[in-house]
Amino acid sequence: MSRIWLPRRRHLAEGIGVDRRAFLAAGLRAGGGALAALALAGCNSKGPRGAQGTLRAAERWNERVERKLFRPTARNVPSTRAAAAGLKFPSYFIASEMPVWDEAQRGVWRLEVSGLVDRPMRLTLDELKALPRSEARLEHFCVEGWSAIAVRTGVRLSDLARHVGISPDTRYVDFQSFDDDYHESWDIESALHPQTLIVYGQDGEMLSPEYGAPARIYSPVKLGYKNTKYLTRIAFLAERNGGYWSDQGYEWYGGV
Amino acid sequence: MSDVSRRHHLVVRITHWVNAIALTIMIGSGLRIFNAYPAFARKGDTFCCYPFEGHKIPDWLTFGGWLAGARNWHFAMMWVLVANGLVYLGFIYLHGEWRDLVPRRGIVHGAWQMTKFYLALRRDHPAQDKHNALQRLAYFSMPILAFVSVLSGLAIWKPVQLAPLTALLGGFVWARYWHFLAMISLVIVTIGHVFMVFAVDPYALRAIVTGRYNESKSPQRRNARPFVNLRAAKPPLAPATPEPPEANK
Repeated sequence: MSRIWLPRRRHLAEGIGVDRRAFLAAGLRAGGGALAALALAGCNSKGPRGAQGTLRAAERWNERVERKLFRPTARNVPSTRAAAAGLKFPSYFIASEMPVWDEAQRGVWRLEVSGLVDRPMRLTLDELKALPRSEARLEHFCVEGWSAIAVRTGVRLSDLARHVGISPDTRYVDFQSFDDDYHESWDIESALHPQTLIVYGQDGEMLSPEYGAPARIYSPVKLGYKNTKYLTRIAFLAERNGGYWSDQGYEWYGGV
Repeated sequence: MSDVSRRHHLVVRITHWVNAIALTIMIGSGLRIFNAYPAFARKGDTFCCYPFEGHKIPDWLTFGGWLAGARNWHFAMMWVLVANGLVYLGFIYLHGEWRDLVPRRGIVHGAWQMTKFYLALRRDHPAQDKHNALQRLAYFSMPILAFVSVLSGLAIWKPVQLAPLTALLGGFVWARYWHFLAMISLVIVTIGHVFMVFAVDPYALRAIVTGRYNESKSPQRRNARPFVNLRAAKPPLAPATPEPPEANK
């Protein structure tokens, strides 16, 4: 994977490079014997290799449960007493440097809306801003355990979906980024939740590069890593398409 | 004469050990998840009640290897823990064992007498049934703490889909805190439980494995407090019968 730029990002990625078998073998060579191997297998390990299949089965089961629990009417309404994060809102990206859309090199930024749609589009930021605007104060839930409140301004994805006319075969949506190859795909139900927005404004200002400018997807019904920043393409699909973190072991569904 | 009774039903023994393993994995993986953000404050806010913010739990106490691994274990093992807990509670309700665990009148007095005995402020072991008053309190508290863990866990897992539950617990930040406190309480009760098994009633180990328990070696019969009268006294030797006088032969 790409070089890690911000220390926080490491939490999500850490441990990927640890070779448990080499670790165990070293312990055995050191003369600890079977007991040491057993202790190492217990402490800070990923657990027995044979359990991985069971864990994946449990993930599929959890996805079924979470989809059963999902209600389009459920809302995230943070307490008015809870402080907003403001500039304390953490900033994450995958690339070694903060991704900034370079118009001189790549031309005008456009958001491609494609896949199973009647009217594929390539929207400029101005065209996006001309669509019906939605604004909400939402609590963001990171997979790491922190949460943060911000006001999000943008276009409801459900409005855009109507605008482009999505096919009834659409089951999934993929959100592609220009931050390296970052993307995450979602179930269509979560994508059409009324609090799922194509965000271009945060806390009353235009989205800054730290937070995914020019536009990002944002929904409180998904964990942070599912919410692609630096958006370039929204593709409505019949099949799921994995995702940057989902492919590395994080739950694909990532629902909140 | 047999003092050996059947103390724990097979269902109780199996659920006890499944619980021990599942809870260990839940706590280890939970601590690994916690280490990704070892704090409670919402970003840009402060939190009143956690003095160790930013201090990670030592790696050797954690399980899962990395955040995603720990989450996968946590969200798989939670079903085992809940199903096992329901089997246990259902069984002790139907089978009547709940009577040995629910606090009764005089529990506070009983607990105080047991405490006095353990502190050597009282000579003789208070009379008890299957469990003493302190055990009753400890074992009764565990399903309650487990219930708080499950409820707060659900509130953290689905703060939007189960928003009313999360709000009931004071919001996402407080739900995480209750989840953490319930875990710490469970750990404290469990450490006390394991300590007392080894320091007062090691004969209980046989009971939780094979189900059998020798009543003549119970802590009450041994008058056992931690590390005192830990082992049952050997049965006294038969009194020596005097040799018949030689002279009368």
